Amino acid sequence: MIVPLSHVLAVAALLFAVGGVMAAARRSILLILIGVEFMLAAAGLAFAGAGLAWNNLDGQAAVIIIMGLASAEAGLGLALLVHGRRGGGTDRADSYDRLGEES
Amino acid sequence: MTTALACLLAFPLAGAVLQAALRPKLSRAASGGLAALAMAAALAAALAGVWNLGPQPVTVSFGQWIAFDGFSAEFSLLYNRLAGLMCVTVAFVALLIHLYSAVYMREDKSFARYFCYLNLFVFFMLVIALADDLVLLFLGWEGVGFCSFALIGFWHEELPNVDAGRKAFLMTRIGDLGYVAALGLIIAASGSASLTGIAANAATMSPETATLLGLLFLFAACGKSAQLPLSAWLPDAMAGPTPVSALIHAATMVTAGVYLLMRLAPMLAMAPVVGAAAAFVGAATALYGAACALAQRDVKRILAYSTISQVGYMFLAAGCGDDGGAFFHLQAHAFFKSLLFMTAGVMIQAFHEEHDIFRMGARLRKALPGLFILFACGAAALAALPLTSGYFSKGRALADALAHPGPIFLLSFVMGAAAAFLTALYVFRMLFVAFFSDPADPAKLVSEPALRRMERPLWPLAILAVVYGFANPPHFLGIPALLDSYLAGTVAPLPPETEHAELFVEILDALIALAGLWLAWVFYKPARHPAPAPAGALTAGLGLDAFGLSAIARPYLRLAAWLWRGLDEDVLDGAATATASGVGRLSRAAARLGSARPATTMATLLGACAILLVWLAARLG
Repeated sequence: MIVPLSHVLAVAALLFAVGGVMAAARRSILLILIGVEFMLAAAGLAFAGAGLAWNNLDGQAAVIIIMGLASAEAGLGLALLVHGRRGGGTDRADSYDRLGEES
Repeated sequence: MTTALACLLAFPLAGAVLQAALRPKLSRAASGGLAALAMAAALAAALAGVWNLGPQPVTVSFGQWIAFDGFSAEFSLLYNRLAGLMCVTVAFVALLIHLYSAVYMREDKSFARYFCYLNLFVFFMLVIALADDLVLLFLGWEGVGFCSFALIGFWHEELPNVDAGRKAFLMTRIGDLGYVAALGLIIAASGSASLTGIAANAATMSPETATLLGLLFLFAACGKSAQLPLSAWLPDAMAGPTPVSALIHAATMVTAGVYLLMRLAPMLAMAPVVGAAAAFVGAATALYGAACALAQRDVKRILAYSTISQVGYMFLAAGCGDDGGAFFHLQAHAFFKSLLFMTAGVMIQAFHEEHDIFRMGARLRKALPGLFILFACGAAALAALPLTSGYFSKGRALADALAHPGPIFLLSFVMGAAAAFLTALYVFRMLFVAFFSDPADPAKLVSEPALRRMERPLWPLAILAVVYGFANPPHFLGIPALLDSYLAGTVAPLPPETEHAELFVEILDALIALAGLWLAWVFYKPARHPAPAPAGALTAGLGLDAFGLSAIARPYLRLAAWLWRGLDEDVLDGAATATASGVGRLSRAAARLGSARPATTMATLLGACAILLVWLAARLG
């Protein structure tokens, strides 16, 4: 492995932080989903780097699992978004507050 | 002896209980008869008790009723000659009042309730007269307070009567505070609260304790006996039926305070301050009551203020340490004041519930000559015309004050003498206006046979009012003083200085009474068509009520309102509400972290994760 593990982990952490801030700060459901994808990608990157570093294939298996999970999550999230828009809703995450006490 | 005392207490109580139990079945005559029978039996028991009583006091105990931690209260009686005579006086006057009531209440529908309270009243008064244990005495003390409340507010359909009853109850309750405090102090100091124990320990008691206890008991006595500053309830106590007034003023409640001071004499002898205070309060009250009586138009209110004033003389005598003299005046006053009240009751019924003496007049004398004679006997004794009972007994109190060394007592004597002059003046004003004048606005006179029937029980009282003074005449007359010699071992002996002062005082008293009579004649002789004085300070009781309202009640109300609105609602409730809403705000803030928007939820989650990771890193690194 050419790149030291610490660099990989640093990039993964940066990516995770970017995704986290995006998920927290964005209003649109679509972009929140993208933020979550970022975080998942960061986790996948950390798994892949660690798998290479320790010569262990389990890390790459975990990457595949994460990819499946991320695509399923993205599909489900987008389906929910489409459904919400059809029902006259918006893509604003804040306006889906019917279960909250302060509505 | 035990049997006699048990009977004495049991008969009035049984009478009251029977009245209450048989109320639906009793006819009016049976009710009155039962009550009078109970009283007659009590009088017989009281006489039997006195008959068998030697100079030595008898103590009887009917068992214990409270015991804790080394303190015990018993149903114990201390029967000495003072208590014996007191019981006879109470039972005798009460019996006559019962007989009179049976006719007076002839149209009232709640006669059973009335007689039940009347018997109960006498029972509680006899408890006061006999009790040795101060806790038992307090039972009687409070019982008398309750009965006065029930009887003053007897006609409870009308609010003013209820208010008067409540006023009497509350004002005497203020005095009872002193009694309770003194009781607590005595129990704390000596572990027992019996009169015999106090008398035995009086010499070892520290003067400060004795003074404090004496002042507290004096305060309690002032409440019960309507002395300044707690006298405002008595004039309003006229709201009850007239025989009740006679009972309260002559035989029971009002004399209880003075009697308490007499019973505590061994302790008060250790505390000269209390004696001086009692004498001064008594003399001041005598003057106050007499001055207020001058301006009243309502015959019962005149008599009420007169009671306040006469009980002042008893306090004066008791304060000078002359319990025999105080008791002598108590008896004389019981006779002539109950007589006056009951004649006033007949006068009021003769004019069909008219209280104003300025609407009566000479027609009353012509219609009921016997009533006039009765009233004149009572009035002569009250005004202390020479040789009547009031003359000797009041003179004795004044002589006590004059003979006692000290400027306070001299001042008390001067006030007492001035009050004696005013007394003669208002008594004869009442007599001349009510029985001789030609009123401008006469009330309608009704004639009923019942009026004459009511006069019958009053004759013994009239005879006693006139001649009872010779039971205890002053020394210089050379007649043996029966009362003094009978009480010789029981109360403190009369100091020789008083005997020297008596001649001067009796001559002065006679002159004062005759001067008052003359002045009343000048002002109120029928030819002058006397008119009532306009309402002024005297009519309103010298503003004692107003003072009580403005100085005590209103600040208290303001304080209460402030405590309620300001302190309780704003500060205490405010603090509680503020705490609650603060917690609420906190919880809402915490809730917003987790539930308000996905964004904050996410931020919270990430922040918490970051903190957790940093902490882990710090721990592991």
